[in-house]
This record gives sequence, structure tokens and C-alpha cells, in this order.
Amino acid sequence: MSIVPLEHVAGEAEWRMPSRGVVGMASLITAEATIFTIFVVAYLYYIGRDVSGPTPKQVLELPIFNTVCLLSSSFFIWLAEHAIERGKMKAFTLWWSITFLLGAIFLWGTGAEWYQLIVHDHLTVSTNLFGTTFYSLVGLHASHVIIGLLMMLVVLIFSLTKHLRPQHAERVKVLALYWHFVDAVWVVVFTVVYVVGR
Amino acid sequence: MTEARHPIATNPPSGEAHTHAVHLPAPTAWPFLMALGVTLLFAALVTSIAVGALGLLLTVVSIVGWFRNVLPHELHDDIEVADETVVVVPSSEKVARIQVDETHRAQLPLQTFPISSGIKGGIAGGIAMVIPAEIYGILKFHSIWYVVNLLGGAGVGGWINPTMEEMTHFRLSAFLTANIIQGATTLLVGLLYGAMLPIWPKRPILLGGIVAPVIWTGFLHSLLGIVNPFFAERIDWWSFGASQLLFGLVAGYTVTRLGHLKRLAQVPLSIRLGVESPGLHVEQGKEPKQ
Amino acid sequence: MDTPIISVPGGIEGALDRTRPQGKKGTYLEAIHSWIVTVDHKKIGILYICFGLIFLLVAGVEALEIRIQLLVPHSTFLTPASYNRIFTMHGTTMVFLVGMPILFGFGNYLIPLMIGARDMAFPRLNAFSFWISAFAGLLLYYSFIGGLGLAGTGTAPDVGWFAYAPLTERAFSPGHTIDYWAVALIANGIGSIGTSINILATIFCMRCKGMTLLRMPLLPWLYATVAFLVLVAVSPLTAAQAMLMIDRYLGGHFFDTQAGGSAILWAHFFWIFGHPEVYILVLPAFAFANEIIPVFSRKAIFGYPAMVAASVGIGFISLGVWAHHMFTIGMTSVGNAFFTLSTMIVSIPTGIKTFNWLATIWGGKLRFQTPMLFSVAFLFQWLIAGLTGIMLSVSAWNWQLHNSYFVVAHFHYVLVGAIVFMIFAAIYYWYPKMTGRMLDERLGKWHFWLMVIGFHLTFDLMHIPGLMGMPRQIYTYEPDRGWTLLNQLISVGGFIQAVAVLIFVYNLVHSYFRGAVAGPDPWDAWTLEWSTQSPPPAYNFAVDPVVASRRPLWDLKHPDDTDSAFE
Repeated sequence: MSIVPLEHVAGEAEWRMPSRGVVGMASLITAEATIFTIFVVAYLYYIGRDVSGPTPKQVLELPIFNTVCLLSSSFFIWLAEHAIERGKMKAFTLWWSITFLLGAIFLWGTGAEWYQLIVHDHLTVSTNLFGTTFYSLVGLHASHVIIGLLMMLVVLIFSLTKHLRPQHAERVKVLALYWHFVDAVWVVVFTVVYVVGR
Repeated sequence: MTEARHPIATNPPSGEAHTHAVHLPAPTAWPFLMALGVTLLFAALVTSIAVGALGLLLTVVSIVGWFRNVLPHELHDDIEVADETVVVVPSSEKVARIQVDETHRAQLPLQTFPISSGIKGGIAGGIAMVIPAEIYGILKFHSIWYVVNLLGGAGVGGWINPTMEEMTHFRLSAFLTANIIQGATTLLVGLLYGAMLPIWPKRPILLGGIVAPVIWTGFLHSLLGIVNPFFAERIDWWSFGASQLLFGLVAGYTVTRLGHLKRLAQVPLSIRLGVESPGLHVEQGKEPKQ
Repeated sequence: MDTPIISVPGGIEGALDRTRPQGKKGTYLEAIHSWIVTVDHKKIGILYICFGLIFLLVAGVEALEIRIQLLVPHSTFLTPASYNRIFTMHGTTMVFLVGMPILFGFGNYLIPLMIGARDMAFPRLNAFSFWISAFAGLLLYYSFIGGLGLAGTGTAPDVGWFAYAPLTERAFSPGHTIDYWAVALIANGIGSIGTSINILATIFCMRCKGMTLLRMPLLPWLYATVAFLVLVAVSPLTAAQAMLMIDRYLGGHFFDTQAGGSAILWAHFFWIFGHPEVYILVLPAFAFANEIIPVFSRKAIFGYPAMVAASVGIGFISLGVWAHHMFTIGMTSVGNAFFTLSTMIVSIPTGIKTFNWLATIWGGKLRFQTPMLFSVAFLFQWLIAGLTGIMLSVSAWNWQLHNSYFVVAHFHYVLVGAIVFMIFAAIYYWYPKMTGRMLDERLGKWHFWLMVIGFHLTFDLMHIPGLMGMPRQIYTYEPDRGWTLLNQLISVGGFIQAVAVLIFVYNLVHSYFRGAVAGPDPWDAWTLEWSTQSPPPAYNFAVDPVVASRRPLWDLKHPDDTDSAFE
């Protein structure tokens, strides 16, 4: 048997792999989606099992304006993605600010809803099963909105100080993927909490 | 001599410098500190708020540090590569290799077992074996449903000690169960036939068609009392045995007819000797059909 | 030493000496600093494995305490309360601080090397994941002295590793025992999820040129399945533990049966995690077998595509079987039938794998060195573990034997007989790559045979008291039950295994300094990690590898008979 020197020769054909940012974010979204699934299952399981009030029917109102704001932000972040891909940084900053603003309005709306529930309807986490599951599920979603907004704020600051360049488009896309996920989860949470649960 | 054929060559790339630098991510303490911070945040729940404050401070500081590490550009070290050639000697002395000549890799099977013949055999046998059973049912009880109910009754939970009246009349659940049992077992046995009969030595019809059914009928005879006492009480072993034999014969015949497998003994001399020449396989594969 | 080490000609030994420059020079402080700040996947992998091995010793001592306690009836070696703590910590440690770290460690170390990458996809996240898992382990063990302070009796968790509600609610478990359990495992779960994201991104995005998915060695395939399972199985545990913490800290009612909460929901959530967790642990063991058995049989793995399909299939099926842990809680007959059948279906892909390993061995030229010995024992033990698993999957049988020592014997057959044995095999197999030194083969044989004898003495016999009705988690038993002799033999087996592990630890340390120099490819293997030096340089490969088949190194060694010619 001969002695074989080990050397790998570089091949010529193009070799493309998917973006690790996108795969990583997709994996994170899978994990997060599972966590949301567990909370949603718990919410559905406990609907109508309260031993004391208040019930969802008595206190919950449809957050239509909030929902429109959050869901439309997905459209604006998509516009922003397009803008940075084409190198239009001014347009990017505009669309990105609108997205951030819409997300902030949603968060403010959730805060107002909670204030109403806690102060006027006396519903807290420990009041009954509805309170426990409602604040956990909506709170979990709101915490994701907060994280998304913080990340978007960082990008916004970089963009306003002209540190953001078109070559960062991929990282921005990954962040946008996360925001799309947060929006998609809201569709589920909205359906479960405000449509099915009421 | 081999570079032309295989993408991996064994000699070093020519004309390239033997030392170059590789970018590797620079070591950093921020992940360590952030992990410590987050753990302390969790620990605050079970200890005191001061621990949490420290954890929060550590977390925030390390998030900023981590960001500065990757933005706007990832920090990295340039590691000098010492481009020596790693030499590996296959340990042929220690292990006796399988003795093969140059063409052993080309001795691929000429044909694979025809699975479809097994399925067809199973279906044919399964239909054929109904005949003796039904003859028995009609002669003895004047009903085509008796044997169906007998076979399917095992799977119907709520049906306890049925009367003869019930046994001779159609019952959907028993009918479905009987069909599932009959269909699944005959298909599986047929598949087994398809896989095994072609490679059995001599007279596959004798082994598969007669010996095997006799063996499993005997096996069932001794076992059925435990598995399904109700069935065991009422079964007529002679007609049951006849059904099994008929199944074996029909399924075995179908399989051996459809699934004729070429063995090495039937292959032209050149292949049996292991002589390989380019294109030979394709030609050999076509030849028997002419 | 009679190990068939290949003599490496000239030049190479010189090259080897240059491969550990930072460890040799500099002070100890600098060495420690370099390990803390490292983002190198190889160093992190070794950290993971060492961390897991240390906790293996800790949890092993806990197992011995359990066995001493059960040696005689009415033993007072441990109090009932501390017995509860010991078996809870034994289970939790073995799963979260031994099994997962060691398996993640091997994944970290091997995946980039096997797919021809220079590092993991997210090296800094990798370091973060390790350190948070490690700190979480320390936090869990801090519970022994935490809470009540140094003078207190210690407040380690005492509710079993599955922590059934409502025992874990504030009303029944005051103090911080459950909180330690929950926060430590949430933090540990963050690390696990981080590593899994990293593994998936590495496998899908970092493969070297020519390494298509179907040319990857089977180990990355199995780790991809494991990583996916971690994402969808550990997250439910994290979510359930978050709910538990909401109950305990904010007065929520998730598992508070007084306010309409459901204890069964906790059981469902826990086992939605708990059963896939078994596969998270056992699939890497399969992965090691997939690499080791072909090399020591001198044959390519039999049925590569079937192996890939079976592995991914096991991953998916394992997500639909969790309630077979809950037959005695009570379900509808449809539920019982569904979970019985789905559990039995797992045996189909598992059977495919077993037969493929046998077909790989069949007709091969076997070399019975220590890694192969452990692998062969694994094959037998895994088969028996699978068969008792099928027995327990039958709901009627399960009603009789649930929570008996039969169940304990069954899952230890999986966790020790399959997983721990394959971890040992993997350490013997890849230790030369990680350190550049061979483990001592004679000590390895001692380790193996003592382990096999001790294992079978302990866990074969453990089935019997289970069949005789001995429930698990009891701190003592009456002398008239006829369990005494069996328990004593089981304990003796436990101590034999402890001796075997001590020999192993001695071997690890001894061979690090005195072992024979391994050279880059001591086993005449075929995957890419053996094409670089031992230990590999920080950059793994001087030149980016290009592969054209599943066994790139075979192709290089046998240019006249390459795999790539047959693809």
C-alpha cells in the first residue's frame, strides 16, 4: 500500500450554500413557534374552565386598530427590505421608521388595554384562569414585540447616522424575518384570544 | 493517472504559496460574561435582587460589547497556516482486507427481486383461498357470511358469544375487520414469497406452496386456542387447511412465474469470470430479452 | 501496548509537535483565559465533554448512594427526604448535565470537521450556549446549599425529574426547591436551543465544496435531526416551566387544581418534551455507531439512504408518542390504542437501523478494538431495550408495570446500555483526534468488560423486582417481599460499573500524558476529520477540502477504486 499525501484540490464549479442568518433565524422561529403553540394550547384548554369571573366576554374588546397597525407594519418592512436591496437608503430609512412607529403604536395599544383590564376590570394574573392564560399569552407576544422594536431601533439609529450600508441588506432581511414571525403569531393570538375565546 | 477521472487529486495544488492566512473569529469574553449575566438574572429569582442587578448590568454591558464585536465588521484573527502535507498510511498490514480483484465493485446485482410479483401473488392467493372456505360455509351453514363473521368477529369488541342467527347474517364491522385481516396477511405473506421464493433452492413450488402452508397451519392449530378461543372452537381444520394449501399453491405459482430471477449461473461466462469491459453491462442486460 | 497503531513516517511527528503551541507556553492563567474566551468549536466541544464527564461522576455518586440505601431493607443510610433529593438530582443531572452536554460536545467538535468547515456557523453564540448551560448546571447544584443558607438542610429539588403538578405548586412545595429546578433548566434550555440553531445552520450552510446533503457522513444527518428535535421538544419544557414560574411567583393558576387548573396538562407538556428527549439522547449514540461500526468492519455503511430516512423518520415519529408515559393517568380507549400503535411504529425505523448495522458488520473484516467492543455491546443492549420498550408500549401491560422497577430497568437499558456505551465508544474513537494520543487499549478492555458485567448484573436483574411489584422511587422496602437478594446483586453491579468508570477516568488522564502518539488517522477511517492533524490546527484544514463521495478519505487512499466513480 502506497503512502498517500492528503491534499484537497480546489474545484472550479460554483458552490452555493443558503445564508446562515436565514437558516439560523428559521430555526429560532421554529423553537419560538413551539413555545407559542404550548401557550396557545393551554389557553384553548382553559377556555371556560374558570371557577370565578371576570370572563373574556365581559371585559375583552376587539383590538381592531392595533391589529391593523401591526399587520400593516409587515408590508412596510417588506418595502424597506426592497429599498435596501436596491441601495435606496433614504427610502429604507422612511419605511423602516414607519414600521417602527406602527410597532410602537401596537405596543402602546396593548399597554392601554392592560391598564384598562387591571385598573378598571380588576383582572390580574392571579384573578382566575382567564387572567393567567391571557396575560401569559398576550404578554409573551408583547415581549417579542419589545425585543423586535429594540432591534429595529438599533438599525434605525445606524441608518440615521449613515452607518448602515446596502451590504448589510442580508442582516436586515434576517431581522425582518423575525418581525414577520411576530406579526404572524399575532394572527394566531388574535384568533384564539379575541375570536374563539370570546 | 487518476486526476482526469476523479475530482479529488492526490498531488498538491501546483504554483500556490505554501503559507497563507485564514480568517478565524477572534476570541472574545463577551459570550462568557453574557451567559454569566443571564444566569445571575435567573438566579435572582431564587436568591436576592442584588444578584439580579449584577446580572442585568453584566447582560447589558456584554450585549453592547458583543455588538461592537460583530458590527460593523466581525473581528477576526489571521491565523498563519502551516501548509504541510498530512500523510496517511492505510493500515493494510493489521487488517486482512477482503480479497477482491479489480472488478469486484462492478459485480452489482443484475436484477433486484421483483416486489410487484409478491403483491400480485398475494392478491391472487388471497382470492383463491376464499373459495374452499366459502364452500365449507355454504355447505354447512347455508350462508356466505359465516366464515366472514368467524374471521372478523375477533376484531369486534362488543360482540360477545353471538348466536348462530347472528353468525349467518351480514355485519358490517365484522366484514370490514375480516377484509383487513385477510388483505393484510395475504399481502404480507405474498411479499415474503416474492422476496424469498426466487432464491430458494430447487422446487420453490413444493416449499412455498405445500410445505410452508402445512407448517403454519400446524402452528396456528396449536396457537389459536390462546389467541382467539372463539375462532378455535368453531373452526373446521380440514377446510381451513385446504384454504391455506390453495393459497400457497396459487401465490407460489404466481410469484415464481412473474418473478423469475436470473442467477449468476444463468449469466454469460464473461460476467461469471468477472471480466469487465465498458458497456458490457448494458448489452448483457438487454440480451436475455431478445 | 498491543494496539495496532500505524507508524507514521518521518515529517509527521515533527508536524504534530507544533500543533499545540498555546497550551505549552504561557502561564496557567493564560491557558485558562484562552479557554474562557475561545470561540473555537473544537475547544468548546472539549469543554462540553469535560463538563459532562465531571457531572457523570457526580450523578454516578448519587446513583451509588441510591444503591447503598437499597442494599438492605429498612436502611437508614439516607433519610426519606434526602433520598427524594438524590434520585431527583440523579435523573435531572444525567439527562441535562451529562447526556446533552457530552452529545452536544461531540456534535460541536465533529460536525465542522466532518463537513469540511472551519468553524460553526455562529461561533460566539456557540460559546454563549456552552457557558449558559454550564452556569445553569452550577446553579442547579447550588440548590444543595442555597436558599436556606449554608447552615440549612439544603433545598435540592425533590419531586422527581418529571416534577408532576400540583406537587410543584407553592402550596405543596414551599421554599425554593422547585424554583431552582425550573430556572436552572430554563437557562440550560436556552443553551440547548442556541446550540441546536448553530448545528442546523452549520450543517445547512457551511458544507465544503462537493459535500451535498446525501454525501454528508451520517453523523451530521443525525445531529440535524437531533437539533430539530431540540427546537420543537425542549421549547415545550421551557414554556411549561415558564408557566410553573408564573404560578409560583405571580400567583397564576396554570397547574393549580383548586382554581380549575389541570395537573394532567403539565404531564402532557412534560412528556411532549420528555419522550423526544430520549431520542435527542439516543440519536447521537446512533450517529457514533454509524461512524464506528463501518470503520471497524472495513466496509462502507450498508444502506445509507435507508439510514438517513430511518433517522429522520424516528425524529418525526417520536413527536407523536409522548402519552405512552401516561397510560395510567387514564385516557380514552382510542387514545390508548393510538399511543400504543404510534409507539410500536417507532420500532420500524429503529429495526431498519439495527439491520443495517448488522449488514454492515456481516462479511466485514472485524477489528475488535475498544470502540468496536462498545459498539457491539450497544447493538445487543439496544435490541433488548427496544424489546422491553415494545412490551411497555402495550397499554394493558403498562397498567400493570407502570412506575415499577421494570420501567426503571427499561429506560436505564436505553440510557446506559445504548447511550453511555456509545459515548464511551465515541471517546475511545475520537480521543486520538482530540488530543493526538491513543487511549490505552489494555485499560480500555478492562473498562469494557467490567462495564458489561456490571451493567448486566445491575440492569438485567432490575427487571425482576419490577415484575415482582417493586415500585420505583421508594426509599426502602420490607424484608418479607423477596426483593432483598436481587437488590443486593443490583447494587454490586452498580459498584462494578463504578470501578469500570474509574479505570476509564484514569485512562483518560494517563493517556493524555503517556499515551502513544496517534498520528492523523489511527483507525484507517474515511471521513474528513481524519484528513487533518491530531489535534487539528485552529483552522481545521489548511486548504478547503473538496469532496466527491461519501468517503472522501477512501477516495484519497484508493485512487484506483474510488467511491466517487460509483455515484
